[in-house]
Amino acid sequence: MRALIDLIIQKKHWFVFILLEVISLAFLFSHNGYQKSVYFTTANDVVGTTYNVISSITSYLHLKEENQALEAKNQYLRKKLLEMQQQMAQDSVKRMPALPLKYELVSAQVVNMTLHKSNNLITINKGEADGIRPEMGVICSQGVVGIVYMTSRHYSIVIPLLNTNSKVSCRLRHSEYFGSLIWERGYANIAYITSIPRHAPVKVKEIVETNGYSDVFPAGLPIGQVVRIGDSSDGMSYMLKVRLFTNFTTLREVSVITNYTSAERHMLEEIAQNPEKADSTMLEQLKEATEKPDNPIR
Amino acid sequence: MSSIYISRFFRLLILLFFQVLVFNHIHLMGYITPLVMGYMVVCFRHNSSRISVLTWGFITGLLFDIFSNTAGMASASCTLIAMVQPLILKMFTPRDAADDFKPSFLTLGFWNYILYTFLVMLILHGAFYLLDAFTLADWILTLTSILGGSVLTTIIIVFIELLVHSKQKKKHHA
Repeated sequence: MRALIDLIIQKKHWFVFILLEVISLAFLFSHNGYQKSVYFTTANDVVGTTYNVISSITSYLHLKEENQALEAKNQYLRKKLLEMQQQMAQDSVKRMPALPLKYELVSAQVVNMTLHKSNNLITINKGEADGIRPEMGVICSQGVVGIVYMTSRHYSIVIPLLNTNSKVSCRLRHSEYFGSLIWERGYANIAYITSIPRHAPVKVKEIVETNGYSDVFPAGLPIGQVVRIGDSSDGMSYMLKVRLFTNFTTLREVSVITNYTSAERHMLEEIAQNPEKADSTMLEQLKEATEKPDNPIR
Repeated sequence: MSSIYISRFFRLLILLFFQVLVFNHIHLMGYITPLVMGYMVVCFRHNSSRISVLTWGFITGLLFDIFSNTAGMASASCTLIAMVQPLILKMFTPRDAADDFKPSFLTLGFWNYILYTFLVMLILHGAFYLLDAFTLADWILTLTSILGGSVLTTIIIVFIELLVHSKQKKKHHA
């Protein structure tokens, strides 16, 4: 017994060695997928924090490469921007990317315009020869401009939103309550929306856009932004004060939406309104139009 | 006594720091990574307590494992070199050396020190890379890793030793 204890004391480093090796190998084999032992891997908090600090230091070493990459990216984006700007300058429709492609736009320039009368009109330099007809919508890069009123061979007269006779149906972008936009003589950038019901959740700064009910504009074109919520004169509905997006004082480039108005719809509505007048020829025309539904009125 | 432990502890921290930050990112030829942590064991004096060497070696390896996600591999191989270090050092002990001399260029001589370090490193890298591969199928790769790692680590340790040595000399002169 004594000899055994002597041996153990004498050779104790062997026992320690074997013990430590067994521990190590136990680690090695039990953690062969070391996911199990969070504490003995880089996943533990102390080591993780250390590596975080280290990476926050070493990230500076890569700043040069990162800068170069960013510079290259910048260059690329700048080039893209330039291309885009050129393209937009050609189209003259600068902020209407959401406009579906099925609408054809004819760009035109404003040649005459009044702002301070109660019935302002805009003259543009495109007319029947370019496919423009009365009741077509006119827009610009910022928003809605107005509706074509009369056309000649090479010119058209547009009733802008800034006309007391103008009435464009519109809606609030988020709540989708609709009303009609009217203008009162005075400011060239302020209009009003009537007949928004009192239970509608209206907020200041809400965007007003076209609602697509009318035959003139497709839905979703921006008109303006609500700046004040007031009551209408009869107190039954809201009267919203709207700041128009379109800056009429500097308006120069406009676009006319030429093929939105559908002949079929137009005809159908006409028949519906005057059923007694609807004779066989009109129904014939309607049938014709149905066969070419996307044909504009020409 | 405690000052020895403190200096060992700081040596361990510094070695760990450089191992994790620098040497773990060296992959010569794609797979030769120096395990400079082994310097911790190489430094132990002649006739140190064997249990002490074993414990420090194990801790060194364990810390390396934790920081490198190599569960058990380094602790097993560091414990192994901690076991054989006294034996190897005995082989190189000069006749007139003090009983508790510290292995260095001065005590062992330049070439003997390099050979001593290389032998310890060979065992360390041998154990580490064999446990890593755990097969002899790709033995050329394993052998290259072992030999390359040993040589590279020996060179690094010689540089460290020269640096420490020159500093001590300066201190001595001053």
